[in-house]
Amino acid sequence: MNDEPLQPHSAFRFHGSWQEFARIAFPNLLLTIVTLGIYRFWATTREREYLWGKTEFIDERLEWTGRGIELFVGFVFAFLLIGLPFIVIQLVSQGLIFQGAPVLAGLLTFAMFLSLFYLTGVAYFRALRYRLSRTYWRGIRGGSDDPGFQYGLAYMWKTVLGWLPIFLMVPWAMISLWNDRWNAMSFGPHRFNANAEWTPLMKRYLLFYLVPFVILIGGAILGFSMAASGDMADVLGGTGMAIGAIVAIVALLSGYLIIPLVALIFYSKYFRLAVGGLRLHTLEFEFRARAVDWVLFFLANMVIIICTLGIGYIFMPYRNWKFLFDHMEAYGEINVNELTQSETVVTKHGEGLLDAFDVGAI
Amino acid sequence: MSAFFDAVHYDGQSAVKRTVEVQVIGQQFYLLETERRSGPFAFADVAYVTKQGEADVYGLDGRDGWRLTLSGPVPSELTALLPAPRKYGGWVDRLGLGKAAIAFTLTSAAAIAVVLFSPQWLAPLIPDSVDDRLGDALVGDFGGRFCHMPAGDAALNKLVASLDDAPQDLRVEVANIDMLNAVALPGGNVILFDGLLKQARTPDEVAGVLAHEIGHVRQKHVMQALLRQMGLAVVLGGVDDNSGAVVNNILAMSYSRNAEAEADAHSMKVMGNANISPVGTASFFDRLSRLDGSAGTLKDNAGITGYLSSHPLSVARKDAFEKSIVKGKNYKPALTPAEWTELKTMCTQDRKVKSGLGFDFN
Repeated sequence: MNDEPLQPHSAFRFHGSWQEFARIAFPNLLLTIVTLGIYRFWATTREREYLWGKTEFIDERLEWTGRGIELFVGFVFAFLLIGLPFIVIQLVSQGLIFQGAPVLAGLLTFAMFLSLFYLTGVAYFRALRYRLSRTYWRGIRGGSDDPGFQYGLAYMWKTVLGWLPIFLMVPWAMISLWNDRWNAMSFGPHRFNANAEWTPLMKRYLLFYLVPFVILIGGAILGFSMAASGDMADVLGGTGMAIGAIVAIVALLSGYLIIPLVALIFYSKYFRLAVGGLRLHTLEFEFRARAVDWVLFFLANMVIIICTLGIGYIFMPYRNWKFLFDHMEAYGEINVNELTQSETVVTKHGEGLLDAFDVGAI
Repeated sequence: MSAFFDAVHYDGQSAVKRTVEVQVIGQQFYLLETERRSGPFAFADVAYVTKQGEADVYGLDGRDGWRLTLSGPVPSELTALLPAPRKYGGWVDRLGLGKAAIAFTLTSAAAIAVVLFSPQWLAPLIPDSVDDRLGDALVGDFGGRFCHMPAGDAALNKLVASLDDAPQDLRVEVANIDMLNAVALPGGNVILFDGLLKQARTPDEVAGVLAHEIGHVRQKHVMQALLRQMGLAVVLGGVDDNSGAVVNNILAMSYSRNAEAEADAHSMKVMGNANISPVGTASFFDRLSRLDGSAGTLKDNAGITGYLSSHPLSVARKDAFEKSIVKGKNYKPALTPAEWTELKTMCTQDRKVKSGLGFDFN
């Protein structure tokens, strides 16, 4: 059926090509510009239809059934329910400052911040729910009956608890929230079961946590030794200059490269643990990308974006999806007779909330 | 009449893949398996879902997950009964990409034009009560920062009355804030900052600035700007935040430059009517131009900065006010020396006024 070589060990296979994706992405870019951005909801939908349709699970392609209008309606909802009230609140609090009630203005702003915080959590949850409910495989879809309001609260207190001990509990918050989110989701008649552990994540997190200090101390030591060798500047000649240049380069690299790279090393472990803890009935999942794969992926993305003067950015959804499913693996058996249709509710609007907060990815 | 075609089918109840024959009878069809026949289904209920490789996938209204996949060359008898494939979505498919892009461009341009030009016509239609309420909400008592002394108030009232025919719908106040500025706000509110009074050398200078702000009120510039900003926020709401804000600011600024020029013209006119010399205002802008640095810039550079800034350059304004001097006309000072002293020192005299310290405009 397929002209591509069979990979008997991989349950997920991605058959897309960037040339095909370009034929979707460039018209999308054009239409998005001439509609002052409004087309982007339909653009996203077309890209997803392509990416989902090129992703094969065992012997059948996935299918994206979301519609552009759903995302648009979601966006309008988010604007009316959040954007507009927030503009009003901002105006009111400015008026309050004018009239000499800065405390009240501060309280109002704080309440606004709190509700934004809460809604961000709800948005993450509902985006996942929406995506699952529009994803079909062999005519069966996923979803959730949970509206995600409870999750919004969990998102708030777990995030804050993660920050409290000088940010040391962030890995716990991340894993715990991932588990909360996925435990509420289902596909067909089966509930997802997420019980990823956070403790194996701590070593990588401490690495990420300590690197800025290491760079700082290293820089200080290097600077100090340079100052000490200042007497020999005449003898060394250009060497002193070279060392100075190296220090400057290292400082620059650490800001723009080393810290993002260490963050990636942490994130690769997080994602591997999170996906590894996921089960669906008799299926188990695994994400096989190691830190080096993530780093190469990240660097390649940078190169693509820079070399195309930014236009390559429109290929990022393709690159992300390909990376995701090139490394995604599933084990176990599926009884297709048992895999019956999901009875979860189907919401009519898309990821408006998440769109409003500009966060993405599963 | 009946015809048979091979197809792949999912019934949406379970994930079992079925190879079926499509039996067409008039406007309906049945799906035939070895030991099962489902249907009849009406062609009118069939919806296009997506393209899977070379195959077209159809769904059925009201049957979640029901799929019929027709691969290979589909006979024309069947194609005629099935809905047309969808590529971009409704409008774009009907018009074609090129025409749709042009139509969208024109619509977008028209929307922006409406938002930019309609406030001029709409602003006068907003009832004064709305304008007043907005002004009250925004300004109120300005946190007790308005300075009041009987003699100073009298001097200010005299100045306003000489510059405007209907001073009763204006509310001009002096605020105890050390800033070289004056603002026009909704509801006929004009605020002169004490810093401006302190810097001014003659009452004529204050008269020029005050007349300028009254010009904003009389020309409904404040409500226009408010409507324009709101309109742009809605129209450009779809564009990503940063570029949207840049476009928004440039568009809004070019309009506020117009408004400033109109307010200057108003100022010159009413000063001429009141027999107040524009010399003071010209020299005030001359001093301002040294502050904003525009005096030393080349003409070319001035053109660029002038275009991108909301206020016309002080040099240009100084020239305009100087040109409005009528030679041989018998100008009178705007206030007597005693009145001018009272107005200038009103905030220092007023013991009850709150301090302007800690007032942050941004």
